[in-house]
Order: sequence, then C-alpha cells, then structure tokens
Amino acid sequence: MLTLRNIQVSFADRRILGGISADVAPDRITAVMGPNGCGKTTLLRCIGGLLEPDGGEALIDGRPVADYPARQLAQKLAFVRQHPQTDFEFSAFETVLMGRNPYQHRLQNESQADWDIVERCMRQTGTWHLRLSTPAQMSGGELQRVMIARALAQETPVLLLDEPVSNLDIAHQLEIMRLLRQATDKTVLIVIHDLNLALQFCDDLLLLHQGGLLYHGPVAGGLTPENIRLVYGVKAHMAEGRIIFDYQARP
Amino acid sequence: MKSTARHSANPWVVAALTLLLLAAMAASCLFGAVDFGWSDLWHSPIFLQLRLPRVIMSVLVGAVLSVCGAAYQSIFRNPLTDPYVLGVSSGASLGAAAAILLGLETFLWGVGGMALVAALLTVLLIYRIASIGNRMHTTTLLLTGVCLTLLISALISFLMVLNQEKMDAIIFWTMGSFGSSGWMDVWMMAPVAVLGIGVVLWYGRDLNLLLAGSEAAKSMGCEVEKVKRVLLLATTLMVAFAVSSCGVVGFVGLIVPHAVRLVAGPDNRRVVPYSMLCGALFVLVCDTLARTLLRPSELPVGSLTSMVGAPLFIYLLYKHKRSC
Repeated sequence: MLTLRNIQVSFADRRILGGISADVAPDRITAVMGPNGCGKTTLLRCIGGLLEPDGGEALIDGRPVADYPARQLAQKLAFVRQHPQTDFEFSAFETVLMGRNPYQHRLQNESQADWDIVERCMRQTGTWHLRLSTPAQMSGGELQRVMIARALAQETPVLLLDEPVSNLDIAHQLEIMRLLRQATDKTVLIVIHDLNLALQFCDDLLLLHQGGLLYHGPVAGGLTPENIRLVYGVKAHMAEGRIIFDYQARP
Repeated sequence: MKSTARHSANPWVVAALTLLLLAAMAASCLFGAVDFGWSDLWHSPIFLQLRLPRVIMSVLVGAVLSVCGAAYQSIFRNPLTDPYVLGVSSGASLGAAAAILLGLETFLWGVGGMALVAALLTVLLIYRIASIGNRMHTTTLLLTGVCLTLLISALISFLMVLNQEKMDAIIFWTMGSFGSSGWMDVWMMAPVAVLGIGVVLWYGRDLNLLLAGSEAAKSMGCEVEKVKRVLLLATTLMVAFAVSSCGVVGFVGLIVPHAVRLVAGPDNRRVVPYSMLCGALFVLVCDTLARTLLRPSELPVGSLTSMVGAPLFIYLLYKHKRSC
C-alpha cells in the first residue's frame, strides 16, 4: 500500500511539487504524467527514498519511507532510473544479480535460488542472451531492459519506473508494457510520455500540472482533450479510443 | 559458463597466493646488504632487528596500499584514484619536513609521528571542506584533495628552498623507503592494517553496488552514506600509518587493483583480497630488489615500484586489448 501525503519539494526558490497527496491503488499500474520539468522524476525520487521532501512524506504499508532501513526498503521498492549509470565493467548477469543484494548476508555467496530468479527476470525482459555483455557492449534499449530485469529481481511489491520505455523501439515498448501488465501483484508507478501507450496499458493516472495534482483516477477519465490542452498546450481529440493530435504541418 | 561462476574469492587462488607470498618472504630474508644462509639467520642481530621487520613492513604496506586503492577506485567511481589522492601523502610529507627542519630525527618516531599527525589533520580538513551537512560529495572530496595536495607540495618546496642544507633528507623521506623500518613500525602498522583490511573485505559487496552509482546502490539496499564514511575512515587511517612510517610508495595502490581486475573481473569480493596478496608480493619483491641491486647503496623503493610496475601493467593492458 503506497500513500503520498502532502509531498512538497523546492529547488532553490523554485517550487517543484506543492503538496501532492494520493492513495496509489495497489496491484495496478499508475501512470505519472505531465510536461517536462513538472516534477515527475522528483516525485518518484521522493517515493524511492532518494530525495527527502521539504514537507510531507511517502508511506509504504503505513510506514514513512524515511523510517525504513535501506535493506528493508529495497525489499519493498525497486527503482529504475531514467539514465542508468553505465561506466562500470560488470556483465549484465552480474548487474541483475545485484538486485538480489537486499536478501543476502554480507559474506554469503548468491544461492542457486538467486541465480534462478535472475535467469527468470532476464528471460522475461529478453536480456538472457546479453548476460555476458558489459554496458559498453549494449545499446541504450538493451541496457534499459537489463535495468528493468534488475528491478524485477528485487522482487518488491512496489516498482517505480522513470521513463522506462522512452529509449525503446515500439516492439520493445510493447514487450515491456506487457511484462508490467503481467506482474499483477505489483504496485507499479511509471513515468511515461506516450499518451496512447498509457491509455492502452495503464490503469490509473497521476496527472501533474504546475506543481499540483490535476487529476488522479482511471487513466481514460484523465486524458481528456481538455486536460491535454491545459497541461501540454496541445490540441487533441479522441477517435476510436485513441488520442489524435491536431497538428498542422507547415506548408 | 562464465555467468554462473563464483563471485567471491576462490579459496584455491587465495591459498596459492598466500603460499607464494610466504615463500617470497622467506627468500627475501636471505638477501640484502648482507646475505645469509638458512642456518645463521636466527643468530644474526641484523636479521632479527633489521631484515625481518623490514620484510614484514613491506608486505603490510603493499597490502594496505593495494586494498585502499581498490576501495577508493570504487568509492569515487574513478579509475585514476590512488590511496594518496585525498592528500594523506602530502600532509604526511609536510609533517615529516617540519619534523626534519626542527631536528626531531633523533627522537624515536619523531618524524613518523609528526607525519602521522599532519596526515590525519590534512584529511580531516579535506573532509570538513567537502561535506555538506552529513553527506559527502565525492567529486568535491576528490577535487579538494587534489587542490590541497598541490598547495602543500608548494609549501614543502618553499620550506626546502629556505633550508637547503636539509633538502636531501626531506626529498629522501618523500621518496619512500623501508630502510629505517623497525619493530616499532610493525607494531604500529600491523593492527591498523588487519582491522582496516578487514573492514574493506566486509564491505566488498557494497563496493560493487557503489560502482553502479550511489543512487542505484541505495535503492538496492546499501546504506551509502554510512558505508562511505566507514570505508573512508578505515582507508585513511591505513594510508596515514603506512605513509608516515615509510614515505610515499607510489604506483602500487593505483595499478595493482587494475591489474587484478584485468585478470579476475570487476567484482570487489575478488578484487580486494587478490589485490591485498598481490600488492604485498609486489612491494616485497621491489623492496628486495631495492636493497640488493646496487648494494651496498639502496634504491628508493618508490621509484622501483614504478619502474617495475609500469611496464608490467602496460603489458597487461596490451594483452587485454588484444584478447578483446
């Protein structure tokens, strides 16, 4: 159970989030949307315990994120960053295996069970054939899938993903979204820019606008032409259940 | 299959390297300004009072520098960091220079003690400058260290120009040598080395996570700030004790972990223990060469580690490149 309670963040004098409150529905996929720079990543970092909000807090199972020891939090919540760091020499397999860290004792070797989980997660994300590759040998999309595999290997009830599909081609976008759909026992919070992809695969929507929460509810009810115009300043209309942008090409 | 290989240290490799190290120590005891046979070793005061503590010190310092280098390269996520990057060596050199100028050489551990105090004060100063609240920004830490190192080197040059008659003694101290190592040094170094290396080994897995980035490490359950603090404390103490008893032995801490990585991969659960043993062996061999090559005079071990190590490492890099 993930609850956001009046989360406020300012950087220098600029207010990024001005009090976000929401009960995120468990076992569903919630899209976090809004224009660039509206605080989506900041919100996710607060929930993930990577940034301490100036006010308010995020709670998992009724307990503030800041109160969890790092190890316990890592058993509750996994985070896929938008730009993974790649300047290391670990193979994809070793990288995903790191996701098992919260379950291991310090001087213990990884068990067969850990290896099985890693193999399963890598097969699910289509990265098993890359297991011996280092980051330098992988494309951006492959690396992104390895990072998702690592988050899955953490076996957490909550999964935070910051633009996980922005670097992927359409086939891999669909594959990842389908994969997230199959993880029915996870509370997934995903920052996503593609409105139609969100419409197709996400259940709920947190729509951010000027530091506040404009809409929280079922995704179809939130991505209306009015909201899209208000938030993005773009005209759009619905046709056959899809969002069509009214875009006039220059002559 | 490589992907499912063991990730912690291979006990056979550890055992083989340990045996090799012990054999090298035994052999090294026989050679020096005076050579010994096995039979007269234990009756010779030269062996008991000079040779044996010197051999032990070179092993301890080699192990400490290599382990600290491996740890720093992971903490700072920077392959160019070596154990002296935080200004420990420059602080120690300034302390030693001051002690030499004040004529403290005649006191037991006069120079070493001053060097130790100055080294610790320098690092403390750097930490104070680089920490914001209770968080440490590693890039700022690194830059502050480099800056302060340059400042202190300039100070030392200044001191030397003003006291040219003591220039030789100061320069010789900074070059690094085990020539004056005695049991006193061993008793001070050994507990710090054992404890410090133990701490780094304990945090081997966390060092791996730090290599993946601070935030990634945190979201995978590593208490990043605490781990960094404990590791920096342990490594700083080790390097400060090492540098204050034998001066600056360059190159070892930078290169040994890299050489180990080329052969054993990036996992710090292997890199740290293998570096410890290889670094000890490397400095031991270099010090043995330093006191035998041009005997009865001695070469500074610091220059020898670079002269032997650099070509060796370039060869490894070259071979690695070919095999890719």
